[in-house]
Amino acid sequence: MKRVKTRWFVFTTLLGPIVMVAFFTIIGIVTAKSLQTTEKTIAVVDQTERLASDVVDTSGTFTFQLSSEPEDSLKASVLAGDLSGYLILPQGIIEGEAAARYYSTEGGGISNFSGDLRAVVRDAVRLRRLEDQAVDKDVFDIINANVSLDSIQLSDEGEEQGSTAAYAIVGGIMGFLIYITMLVYGSVVMQGVIEEKTSRVVEVIVSSVRPFQLLMGKVLGIGAMGLVQMSFWAGLIAAGTMFSGAIVSMIINPADLNLPDTASQAEVLQAVDFTIPQLAPEVFVWFVLFFIMGYLLYATLFAGIGSSVEQQQDAQSLMLPVMMPIIVSIIFLQAVIEAPNSPLSVGLSLFPFTAPIPMVVRIAMIDVPLWQILLSFSLLVGAFLGAVWVSSRIYRIGILSYGKKPSLKELIRWMRYA
Amino acid sequence: MHKLVVEGVTKRYGKFVAVNNVSFEAQPGRILGLLGPNGAGKTTSIRMITYITIPDEGRVMYGAEEVGPRSQEHMGYLPEERGLYKKMKVGEQLMYFAELKGMPRAKAKEQIRYWLDRFGALEWVGKVTNELSKGMQQKIQFIATILHNPSLLILDEPFGGLDPINAELLQDVIMELKDEGRTILFASHRMEQVEQLCDDICLISRGEIVVKGALTDIKKQFGKNTILMDFEGSDAFLDTLEQSGAVRIGSRSTRYAELNLQGLTTPKQVLEVAMPVVNNITRFELVEPPMREIFVTAVTKQQGEQAIPTV
Repeated sequence: MKRVKTRWFVFTTLLGPIVMVAFFTIIGIVTAKSLQTTEKTIAVVDQTERLASDVVDTSGTFTFQLSSEPEDSLKASVLAGDLSGYLILPQGIIEGEAAARYYSTEGGGISNFSGDLRAVVRDAVRLRRLEDQAVDKDVFDIINANVSLDSIQLSDEGEEQGSTAAYAIVGGIMGFLIYITMLVYGSVVMQGVIEEKTSRVVEVIVSSVRPFQLLMGKVLGIGAMGLVQMSFWAGLIAAGTMFSGAIVSMIINPADLNLPDTASQAEVLQAVDFTIPQLAPEVFVWFVLFFIMGYLLYATLFAGIGSSVEQQQDAQSLMLPVMMPIIVSIIFLQAVIEAPNSPLSVGLSLFPFTAPIPMVVRIAMIDVPLWQILLSFSLLVGAFLGAVWVSSRIYRIGILSYGKKPSLKELIRWMRYA
Repeated sequence: MHKLVVEGVTKRYGKFVAVNNVSFEAQPGRILGLLGPNGAGKTTSIRMITYITIPDEGRVMYGAEEVGPRSQEHMGYLPEERGLYKKMKVGEQLMYFAELKGMPRAKAKEQIRYWLDRFGALEWVGKVTNELSKGMQQKIQFIATILHNPSLLILDEPFGGLDPINAELLQDVIMELKDEGRTILFASHRMEQVEQLCDDICLISRGEIVVKGALTDIKKQFGKNTILMDFEGSDAFLDTLEQSGAVRIGSRSTRYAELNLQGLTTPKQVLEVAMPVVNNITRFELVEPPMREIFVTAVTKQQGEQAIPTV
């Protein structure tokens, strides 16, 4: 309760969203910029003399210039910056005996650029090859027609169109958020306990309230603080994404994306793939519940550890066994995202100490059977109550014990004291 | 105002018996001095009285009830080590402790002002605790202890870090609180203060009581066996006397000595040894032993000669 007043809290709470907005804006801009690469003028040296007419750009990224200049002078123009690069279509390329070569000052493609260029050349070459076999251009168009794959998620409410990848990303972000908050707020709790212990305030306080009340007050108090902070952020993220969307659309000229100038913000954002997937409200409810329980479980354990040491450094070795499950669940995060229904994923999301992260990821991605969610949640609550029992016993003795740092064996002995 | 009664209390930590069947009483309007060498079980006893820990055997009564959350409301505890939030402002800190004891804000505010003023510390309200000196922090800690007007006060080394002027101020306040009829438990290693403040004494060593009762009674029990002496000239006679086993020297300087007569040694014998070597004797007085002497004698007797504790 005293922490809410601190400047640090106000500072981070207010600054957090600004950083977030900036973050989203930067992501948006970078995405847009990479798609919006300036037009490239490319000299084409067609040694086959059959391809040039079909080397045409469709994406608006390239301007092709047929050239008969010798390679040396082209090289000079590229180095001087007059040309983005030059493309050599050697003899035999149609027969598949030689490869097209693209020379430029930039290395391999970081962006889609080299892919796009290859597609242009490929299409031209294929067209000639089909012509050589006297195949009609219509056939070519048929072959070339786009085959797209729509990924559709089946759920009880019916078909729901959307990309699983987006849900995986959202799930991953949620999992990571839980991971970070468990660690951050958990260690805030631990630091608070250590601070009260080393400053001996605790002795005054426990002469007024029971150690158990103090422990739970601390865990819940900082939890509430965290929740206030998180919901403040969540609210601002919603506003912030809209805001950053506005910024992105201000920076990107719709014309660059082949959109009419009157394109709405949403259309612009969609064009740069800047969409936020829609999630069912249950997902949020479970996210918040697992988030809270995960925090409570670990904060309680961290408080127990904090009470048994006098310095942060001494806590390290005791923290390792507690941290292991969290680390495990983060290590396997990728595996869970790839196969949310594998036995490993199910197991991790049921085992209480690892449950919060994988379970939230799974809930976000797929329809997890309700019994699994409920079982996992009850186990988590059970583990939390167990942690309260263990920690409060360690805490009661720990906060008043000074001197040498206790071993795990001693901690177990403390637990047994009546 | 109630009596605090400790009845046959025992506390063990594993195999170690920290406090063994200890009984004593603290009366309202009196100050009980809880004394003992380091590790004697003072802190353990205090923690049971403050209901921080619970005795394995026996019980601690405050009035008609055993100590518990209710007695905690009426109790003020000043621990030996300063316990303040380092980064909190003095005013906020005091308010926090007052609210912890269930005081309404307005009342707490008024009390904080009153006591800060009393200790000449009003201008510190907005200061962060870390900026204050040790003695200043001690004053704040003391204020935090008495803010909620407790009827039972447990003061563990309240004079730590205080200069003589502030120590006197604190002493006046403690005496005032006592005269208002509060029950006060005072733990200290500073025997002069114990002597000045305490009405009753309870001396613990190795978890057991070795001396207890009213200070004046205890002094009488020991009898007039101590010589206070001011002299001029060589102090070599003190060594002679001590080596012969006739006296034990409590404290000494080049011109002053406190001699505890051992066995059947008489003041006359001491004088006879001193006369030939010193230039002059300006004081030679037979008195009841000071508290310090009682402490050392009782603890040494219980623990055996090998372990003379540092006082």
